Order: sequence, then structure tokens, then C-alpha cells
Amino acid sequence: MNETKSVRKPGEASGLWLLKVLLGVLIIVLILVHLVVNHYIGEGALLTWEDVVEYYANPLVVFMEITFLIVVVAHSLIGTRSIILDLNPARGKMKIIDWLLIILGSVSVIYGIWLALTIASFSSS
Amino acid sequence: MSNQVWMVTFRIFRKKGNLKPYFEDFQMEVKPGEYLLEAVERIWAFKDRSLTFAHACHHSTCGACGMRVNGKEKLTCITLIKDVVDDDGTVKVEPLRNFPVVSDLVVDMGNLFLNLESVGHHPVISVVEEPYQDGIAAGKGSEADYIRLSDCIECGMCISACPVATTTSTYLGPAALAGAMQASLNPDNGVLKLVDCADGVWRCHSAYECSEVCPSYVEPGRKIMQLRRKVMAERIKSIFRSNN
Amino acid sequence: MSTDTNKPAPSHWWKWFDPRKSDVGNWAFILNRITAIGLTVYLFVHLVVLYQLSQGPEAYNSFLELAKHPFIVLGELLVVVAAIYHGLNGIRVGLTTFSDTSSVQKAIFYVIALVAIVGSLIFAVRMFTA
Repeated sequence: MNETKSVRKPGEASGLWLLKVLLGVLIIVLILVHLVVNHYIGEGALLTWEDVVEYYANPLVVFMEITFLIVVVAHSLIGTRSIILDLNPARGKMKIIDWLLIILGSVSVIYGIWLALTIASFSSS
Repeated sequence: MSNQVWMVTFRIFRKKGNLKPYFEDFQMEVKPGEYLLEAVERIWAFKDRSLTFAHACHHSTCGACGMRVNGKEKLTCITLIKDVVDDDGTVKVEPLRNFPVVSDLVVDMGNLFLNLESVGHHPVISVVEEPYQDGIAAGKGSEADYIRLSDCIECGMCISACPVATTTSTYLGPAALAGAMQASLNPDNGVLKLVDCADGVWRCHSAYECSEVCPSYVEPGRKIMQLRRKVMAERIKSIFRSNN
Repeated sequence: MSTDTNKPAPSHWWKWFDPRKSDVGNWAFILNRITAIGLTVYLFVHLVVLYQLSQGPEAYNSFLELAKHPFIVLGELLVVVAAIYHGLNGIRVGLTTFSDTSSVQKAIFYVIALVAIVGSLIFAVRMFTA
């Protein structure tokens, strides 16, 4: 049989898979940065509120943490989607799940950005 | 040693029609150096003629006799009894997973054969396109003159072992994807587009159980990764092509 | 003609996590999936809990007292262990996809497991003796 049908079914194809892996690599990099930076700011295993505010006074830290948030939330939700795809849901159901994941991700990122900026604002007041 | 006789209990999976499945024990005198399939055959011949199982060549070429022995996928015509059980022991024999059971140890592998056909896998292929593991001692002519049976014996054991195939029957699966890798050697048949989808190369989660259980030289897991690289290379090339 | 017995079905999802009768590569997949789920749950709990930071020093610092409980510290250690393993196996997945190293994926897993165990021990000591 030399003729094969060209059928591209929706779902996690190369784009999303590659994005998931790329985000994974970024997480590894950012986690190392996060650990190193944290180690230089805080002395103990847990920082006090005052330590966190001082940490977030640096705009580079705010930028790094927000980037970290977006990357982790995206990787986590694409991964969650992979697991759900393995359950072979119907196309209609999958579309609803896709929207729920997008909403959850968007809300988490917006909330996280708000939180980061709020903490950053405490140091200037 | 060769005249040693063991007493082994074969715990065989039974299922008929829509009745509930169950396990049935058969006590058999066997020689430790015999193959498991021979024991199953004797159970059918002398103990229970209703036992259904698939077998043909008895020398690991046809892929018919794949079963789960003590939970692991095995080609029973080349599985020695002494490798899976001891004297006075019990060995569990079940059908392959992830294929619907027709009767007892026989499963419906139609999906596998349809998938292999849809990707254009060739059961007979040129030695140049699918070289033997250890090379060949070429006689007359060049290597291109020789054809061979493909490594894949279509036994379905890779699909039985695949964790993804447990929950979804739409996944092309390791055998078909390895077959697609073989078919992709012909660049014009569109097979790369076919496997570049959610139920194709991107569904694999790198468990590599397929390669573990393959009784031949297919290495399906490795072929899936090779196919991924080919698909990605083709996508990159097509970006540059469309910009011309 | 064929029955539904053994047919692939979403209800078989628990079989993903059964490590019996499978080899090293499948254990890697099982651990990857379990750590993925654990880390995802932790991520969203963590985001919710950090809301306390916006409520001022009393709210957050009293939450920190709660977080010093050994049960919570153990939970945090599990998160760290999960992250270490999940990241390393992710490297294994990327490595075997982008290069022809599938034939040594078992060896890669053993290296990863070793690094994960050593990393986990280091963090465990730091977290429980700090």
C-alpha cells in the first residue's frame, strides 16, 4: 500500500509537545536561578514577610518570578492536558476541557502577577 | 537432564462469549526444556478441547503465539518452561492486553493490522532499506538484489505492553509507528503527515516497554523517536520551502 | 465476535501506575506521571496559600509558624524530590527524542535515579536541620 491518507487529528501535536519540552527546560534554568537568588537574600529555610518584601523590592526579581510563574503554569497545564488526552475523551469534551485549562491558566497568571506587584508595592510604601 | 519430568500447574485465563472470565488450573507433566506453547497445545489436545489459542509456525516468525506469561509478554513458542516456572510451581498464562479478547487466549488484533496497513508497512522489503542486524553474507549481485521479511512479526506484544494503549485504542501504537518509520524511507507517500498528530508520534511517553518485549529486532521505541526527528526535520524544511 | 474484555478503556487509567511486570522505562513513566500530578496540585495550593503575603506581616508570619510543622516540612521535601525527579526524567525524554540515545534509556534512568536520590538527601538534610 503506497497511498497513505493525510489525516491530522487535533490534540497535542508537535507544536504543543515541543512547547512543553521548551518550557520544561526554562523551568530547570529558572529554578536554579530562583534557588541561587533566594539563597543570597534569605538566611533561613523560611523567609519572614519582611524578607519577602525586601526580596521583591528588586524589579529583576519581580520579572524573574512572574516569568517563572507563567512558564510553570503553562507547562503544568499542557502536561495535565496530555494526561487527559490519554483517556481518549470525545472531541466535544476535549474542547470544553481545553477552555477550562485556558481559563485556569489565565486566572492563575493574572492573580500571580497581581500578587507579585502587590508585594513589590509594599517596599515603596 | 533431558529426561527430567516436572509437574507444573498452568493457570490459564478462560473466557467464553459474554460470560465472566476466570482462571482454570491444569496440572501437566512437562519437560523443563520444552516450550510453553507445546504445553498449552497438550492441554488443548488431552485435557480441554474448548481451549482456544493462536499458533502457527512455532519458530518465532509468524507472531501468532504472543501471550502474557506470569504477567509479562512472551512469544510462547520460544519461551522455555524452565525460564518461567520451577518444578511443582504454577505459571499464569493470559491473553495479550489492550486487544479485545475473542475467546480464552485469543485476542482480536484487527486494529493492529489495519494500522500497519494504513502507514504502508511492508512485510517484505529490500535488505538495503531494512538491513539485518548482523549484516548479510552477500552472494551474487549487490545487496540491493536481496529482499527479506521485515523484522516486525506483527505479534502485538508491544501494544500489550504499552501504557498508552491501555486507555486508548486510537493511538497508532509502537508497531504501526515503527512500520511508519520503515515506510517513511519512501519520501513521497505522506506517512510523515499521517503520524504527525496527537494519536501518532506525539502520544508516546517514553516508557520503552515496547522495545523491552519485542521478540525481534524492531526496537519500536527507538523507531518512534527517529520518526519524531524525521517529522520535525520535515516541518522545518517545509517552512523554508513555502517561503520560496 | 470479540468481547470488551481487555479492550482499551479510560477506566483502565489505574493500570498506568502498576509497576509490576514492567521494566525500568515504565517505572520512569509512572514516576513522571505521579510527580506531575503531585507538582500540579502543589502549584495551585502554593499560589492560593501565598495570598497571605498580600494580607500583611501578621497574616503571613502566622502562616509561617504553621508551615514549620514537621508534617508540612515533609510535604515540602516531597515536592522538592518530585521536582528533582520530574526535571531529570524530562531531560531523559528530551534527550532520547532529540538524539539517538533510546538504546541506552535504561542507563540514563539509573543515572537520573542516582542524582535524584543524592539531591533529595542533600535537601532533606538542609530542610530538617535548618
